[in-house]
Amino acid sequence: MEGTGAGIVAAKVVPALKGQTAKQAKAPEAPLAGPALDPSVPHSTIKLTINGQEHRVEVEDRWTLVELLRDHLKLTGTKIGCDRGECGACTVLVNGESAYSCSQLAVWMDGKTVTTVEGLARNGKLDPLQEAFIEHDGPQCGYCTSGQLMSAKALLLKNPHPNRDEVRAGMTGNICRCSNYNHYVEAVLAASGTLAADARRRA
Amino acid sequence: MTPLKTAGKPTPRIDAIKRVTGAATYTADITAPGMLYARVLRSPYPHARIRKIDVSKAQALPGVKTILTYENCDIQWSTGDTRNKRLLFNNPARYAGDAVAAVAAVNRHVAEEAIRLIDVDYEQLPFVLEPEEALKDGAPEIQPGGNLSPNGRGQHEPDKYSRGNIADGFSAADHVLEDSYTTPHINNAQMEIRASMAEWQGDKLIVHASTQGIANCRTDIAKDMKIPPEKVEVICLYMGGGFGNKNQCHDFDLMAAELSRRAGAPVRVEFTRKEDYISVHGRWPTKQTYKIGVKNDGTLTAIQMTAFSGMGPYRKGQGDISGIEVYQCPNVERTTSMIYTNMAVSANFRAPAYPQGVFAIESLMDDAAHKLNMDPLEFRLKNFSRKFQDRTAYSSSGLEDCLRKGAEKFGWRALWRPAGSDSGVMRRGVGMGMGMFPSSLGRSAAIIQVDSKGIYHLHVGVTDCGTGAKTTMGLIAAEALGVPLDRVDVVWGDTDICPYSVGESGSRTTVQTGTAVIEAAKDIQKQIAEKGLPSGSDLLTASADTSPALRDFARYSFTAHFAEVEVDTETGHIRVTKYVAAHDSGRVVNPLTAESQVKGGATTGIGMALHEQLLYDKRTGLPLSAGYYHARVMTHLDAPEIEVLWVESEDAYGPFGAKTLGEPTIIPSVAAVANAFFNATGKRVRDLPITRDKVLRVLSEGALA
Repeated sequence: MEGTGAGIVAAKVVPALKGQTAKQAKAPEAPLAGPALDPSVPHSTIKLTINGQEHRVEVEDRWTLVELLRDHLKLTGTKIGCDRGECGACTVLVNGESAYSCSQLAVWMDGKTVTTVEGLARNGKLDPLQEAFIEHDGPQCGYCTSGQLMSAKALLLKNPHPNRDEVRAGMTGNICRCSNYNHYVEAVLAASGTLAADARRRA
Repeated sequence: MTPLKTAGKPTPRIDAIKRVTGAATYTADITAPGMLYARVLRSPYPHARIRKIDVSKAQALPGVKTILTYENCDIQWSTGDTRNKRLLFNNPARYAGDAVAAVAAVNRHVAEEAIRLIDVDYEQLPFVLEPEEALKDGAPEIQPGGNLSPNGRGQHEPDKYSRGNIADGFSAADHVLEDSYTTPHINNAQMEIRASMAEWQGDKLIVHASTQGIANCRTDIAKDMKIPPEKVEVICLYMGGGFGNKNQCHDFDLMAAELSRRAGAPVRVEFTRKEDYISVHGRWPTKQTYKIGVKNDGTLTAIQMTAFSGMGPYRKGQGDISGIEVYQCPNVERTTSMIYTNMAVSANFRAPAYPQGVFAIESLMDDAAHKLNMDPLEFRLKNFSRKFQDRTAYSSSGLEDCLRKGAEKFGWRALWRPAGSDSGVMRRGVGMGMGMFPSSLGRSAAIIQVDSKGIYHLHVGVTDCGTGAKTTMGLIAAEALGVPLDRVDVVWGDTDICPYSVGESGSRTTVQTGTAVIEAAKDIQKQIAEKGLPSGSDLLTASADTSPALRDFARYSFTAHFAEVEVDTETGHIRVTKYVAAHDSGRVVNPLTAESQVKGGATTGIGMALHEQLLYDKRTGLPLSAGYYHARVMTHLDAPEIEVLWVESEDAYGPFGAKTLGEPTIIPSVAAVANAFFNATGKRVRDLPITRDKVLRVLSEGALA
């Protein structure tokens, strides 16, 4: 697989793919988990930072980001709900912006910084959003929760003190079928310190 | 109501940290060395006989391990049809989405490619989508014996109930009202994508299932795989919702088990979201016709219902329609026909029989109040059920308080005006609905072990589909034992280490498994009193297997919901602007998670009222709106704020008087929103969902007259 003819073929077949680095490909730092890379399929080596850690990985060009994260890097906190850009369960941060990881190819991540739900807590301390999600009972079944958290994180990075309508608009790409929207919104307001102000305004 | 020490206070979930850090492992997060990935080929036609199926090209694809079709696999899926013999792969295929083949391969891309390489020669057969059409002469026969699905005794007859004399009831009425309503097929649409992972260790089958009930799932898998139940272990530690479509075992569990057996490797079956929408099941579509008699003073004299439920081609669900029972009335007649069609299969979805029935009966009752110039609240206070079916006393009922206190919190008296009073482009109106849901007692089990440190290890066979069941069980144990919650270690989700639990269906876990937890707690306390705490690594063990029965009472939870809507008469858009949900679920064990249940259920019901539908193309018989986007499920921007009011009636049964909660939350919400639309506009939409096209149509009807 190393160095690899197939990779060069890949470069010809899909020339538009950014970050095609097959020519200087070396063996990845560590073998990936999950189904082995199929050398007959176009593939590329990419460098990316995930949750603060640099990775150099060889990926099939057809892998989506969520496949790379879940199947091959064991970061299963990111969920697949629809695999077609409708539900938001797979939301991660790419260079600090929210993105559906089911709708991004892994090869597009070359040179980028990805943050998943596993990267929210720092040094064993939960992010204020995680604390607020627990206190306000955001997760019911919990399956959409990682995506809700990452959308909320992206929102607060841009707008640290959103009002209720801004939270709802900012997170509307994240479906919750338990429909616990009220509690998710309250949790985000609480984490951003605007819940009390919101209550005063509405009183 | 006697205050409790630990239960009854808002308590975060015991597994909350795992849920917010991504550490909770759902079924599709679990892998095993050498695990294969499986995908399913489905019929592209609503009704078709397979003349020939050729898997040779797929089999030749490198990486393909095992292929199942009807030709080489005749495993029956018992819980997929309670009347007919439904196999994992059926010929003929009876709906667009019926499974035709399954492939296990080294990765999902190869499995998907293999699916595309299977050649199937279909002979298309005539199909029928609408229940009433399916009963006509010459309609295609979907199952042997005709399209009227038989009852439990094998008779092809409608389900009937009556009391009093319906003709006398109509004679005694001053007014008779009659109308028909339709409600569509709606998918449960739980967030967790469907997956099942099976592996064999010798003759033992281990299934990582996504199920609402590990005990039932195990029994069902054992039956259909023809192995003893003790040779099956079902594990489900975290579960991403189901709302009724993950009861028992499913075809994907059996497919995973059989593919794994043949391939000699662990296999994970995954469905796409579209497959989940069309090939598992959703709420049964209905057509309901009601005729009611009412006196000038608002007293009901007769209720008659004739209804059809579309079950799809297999009888997976009951198909019954509930709602009438929330009214007191001496003369009632109910006839429900469960019909086979070539649409997607219908079965349980949160309060399976209720929100569609309550939408219809509450619409007509609202019309009756309007005709009599009565406030709809007064009409309901006059007619709500005092005894179950006018005969059996309730063990407790907070329905009147739900109506009165809910109305007060909502500000009903200030907000309600006769229907159609508002004018202008944006019109506001208010509506309400009421409902009830069984809260039966029944069998469940629990085991408590105490160690030398005084930690209580509580083993319960729950999976926690999002209800907070693990935490609720922990709270009930802590309360019964008189210890703080952190002294209780809840062990769940694995049939090898957990006793029977009823399963998270029928909202029964709190009541039934909770009762067993209390019994086990009493037993362990007795043992501790006699022997003291064990020493070293010893444990004391208490197990309870309880089946309490209720004599002379009917046990129900009750609810009333109140909604205000704003209707944009130019675009047809409806926005819910205020919402109060009042609930009598007896004792509330954990108000924090219980509030989540109510807000979620009410919001899901608003989506049912306004948006959701699995639409079909009548010419091709193919589903058009499978998936979140096209089915238009509720989003953050659609969801109004829901205010919750607890009416905790004193009930002598259940753990500390707790009754059911999860399912009642959706029951009156559809009706409340539909009635608010009527109040805002003076117009009625009788076919769900109340989408913009229907709103504009009914608004234009009067204008042109």
